[in-house]
Amino acid sequence: MRRRPSRAAHLGSGAGDTEEFEGLRVRGLTIVYGTEAGELAAVRQVDLDLQAGTITGLVGESGSGKSTLALAMLNAVPSPGRITAGSVTMSGIGDITRLRGRALREVRGGVLGYVFQASQNSLNPLKRVGAQLLDLARSHGVPQPRLILGEAQRLCERMGLDATRVLSSYQHELSGGMRQRVGIVFALVLNAKVLILDEPTTALDMLSQAAVLQVVREIHAERRLATVVITHDIAVVAEMADRVVVTYAGRIVESGATGDVLRHAAHPYTRALLRSIPRISGDISAAEPLPGRPPDLASIPTVGCVFRARCPLALPICSEVDPATVSVGPGHATACHLAAGPLAVPERTEEVAG
Amino acid sequence: MVPASPPIAAQSTGRGAGARRRRLKGVARRLGARIVAALVMIWAVATLTFFLVHALPGNPVQVQYETLISHGVPPAQALKETRIIYGFVSHEPVVSQYGSYLWQLIHLNLGKSISYSGVSVSHLVLSAAPWTVILVLSGVLVSFLLGVLAGAVAAVRRTSKLGDLLSVSGSLLHGIPQFVMAVLLAYVFTTLLPVFPFGAPYNITVTPGWNLGYIGSLVTHAVLPVFAYALSSYGGWMLSMKSSVVSVLGDDFVLAAELRGLKPLTQLRYVARNALLPLFTVLALSIGFMFGGSIFIEDVFDYPGLGHLLLASISARDYPLMSGTFLLITVAVILSNLLADLLYTLIDPRVRGQAS
Repeated sequence: MRRRPSRAAHLGSGAGDTEEFEGLRVRGLTIVYGTEAGELAAVRQVDLDLQAGTITGLVGESGSGKSTLALAMLNAVPSPGRITAGSVTMSGIGDITRLRGRALREVRGGVLGYVFQASQNSLNPLKRVGAQLLDLARSHGVPQPRLILGEAQRLCERMGLDATRVLSSYQHELSGGMRQRVGIVFALVLNAKVLILDEPTTALDMLSQAAVLQVVREIHAERRLATVVITHDIAVVAEMADRVVVTYAGRIVESGATGDVLRHAAHPYTRALLRSIPRISGDISAAEPLPGRPPDLASIPTVGCVFRARCPLALPICSEVDPATVSVGPGHATACHLAAGPLAVPERTEEVAG
Repeated sequence: MVPASPPIAAQSTGRGAGARRRRLKGVARRLGARIVAALVMIWAVATLTFFLVHALPGNPVQVQYETLISHGVPPAQALKETRIIYGFVSHEPVVSQYGSYLWQLIHLNLGKSISYSGVSVSHLVLSAAPWTVILVLSGVLVSFLLGVLAGAVAAVRRTSKLGDLLSVSGSLLHGIPQFVMAVLLAYVFTTLLPVFPFGAPYNITVTPGWNLGYIGSLVTHAVLPVFAYALSSYGGWMLSMKSSVVSVLGDDFVLAAELRGLKPLTQLRYVARNALLPLFTVLALSIGFMFGGSIFIEDVFDYPGLGHLLLASISARDYPLMSGTFLLITVAVILSNLLADLLYTLIDPRVRGQAS
């Protein structure tokens, strides 16, 4: 089921930008929120590759900037936030952060499908699902809007929904799990190339959760999508993702193939995150909560490692110099001074993750 | 709420066509219950009106009877005339008085006016109603349209100068009492700049009927009172619409519509329809309250509407006319409330769902 991405596409080749790349590529992205306390960076200098055929898990605590990052991929950072540097390049489209008006609108929904949390109400409560699908088709200039209903019906059936009933339903007539699947239908019905799932399992019971993830995985493989799953749930990542990207305070601190990151976590934050998960078969006290408080925008240090305040291994250098991104294995990189020891291979490019 | 999703297979067992029939049935049952409730409310208010008039100090019914006696009317004749006026006489026990009052009411007989002697209350009310409808209905609609548009713009542009300006205009106009607005408009546009005629609903030199002169005269005479009404209720609509739009703009589905790349016009329609929803009930209610007339505006502009009639009946202690007017207002409010409810069932699918 799982596809391992080719190494060359991700790390250290130096040819990454010129080689044929299919998917969404984020480079040097910085997002700043203008607040009364000044300009605060919610996301800083992020590099990320979402390659077609790969499921990427974007992991982090709440407040780690992962949702802001996801919205930035659609050039939809909510005010007072704005993108101050970097690019989001979609193969065949160009830099999405430069798109405006109609061109941007067509990319949203047309190329990039965004799926809301199940707990969120992403549908107009006053219109039937089918009518809203027609609105979507008309907005994107589909020549025969009605044809989209057939496609939506097929997708619904795929996801185990009673298509006729769902299309003639209002949002309040659907359960959380059904709403989420309908959200996926909306994201895919126009043949999007990138699928962004925001906390896909929040507010879902275990059964619906498994069913939704299963369907996403299948359609992902069939259509060779570039899929990104934003979550704070390591279990979801372990089950779904080919690659994991760990974010902390708006920086990417570690990235790599799922198995590598889970088994040989290189960053102290990733390790702490993994230790904090309770196991079903085991003592609950074996799970260690992460010490300290999750970062908030105002308290993120601007110089040095963002995790040092909660890091059990912090060194004096951590508060003085930004940790460089270093490779700790094939396709596996981390931004930590400790990893940059004599055993680690220094990164040639400024890429943090890929 | 539908419970959290059961395993997939269970969900796909559809409700199909039966669901629609059941939904319709639910609507019908709901409608029936509402109509019964409305009738009960009207009966309750009529009863209250009866006992209030009955409990008024000086017992107007008794006073009427005794006035007739003192004018030398024979007792039998006096009794009969009093009964015509009030629908009941105080010589009978209260229960039978109440019974005959209700009986008259069922036959839409509101009794006869005292101050306009011999004229039936229904006739007076019916001839005053059109003036009020012209004045207040246009006022409500004009203020609703202006207020809703301005409120929507103020909400969308709430961080800009234009938004601030609109919000201030709303609060300011909301704060000016109706009669001040009426006097102000009358002074500015009939005295300072005599663009509009003052007083009387139409020029007495034209003949009422379907001719241009009459209709033109009606319109020019109505402009000031309608705008006095519209301006004084604009602020309320504007501020409600603004807060409604602001709250809808924060809903998830608005962001979802944007992220799905819906056309700006489609997005606007989504927001507008959801934001207007809570205002519809208020609109229907204010159309109901319309039958209370607008006492101040009708008074300032000498408009012979229901407000005028109510004011006259109070100052003349014309109890049958008073209770008749009150009853009309009540019925209108109850009916418009009923209408609002039904309308809501039509435009909000979530309410429809609750019926089944």
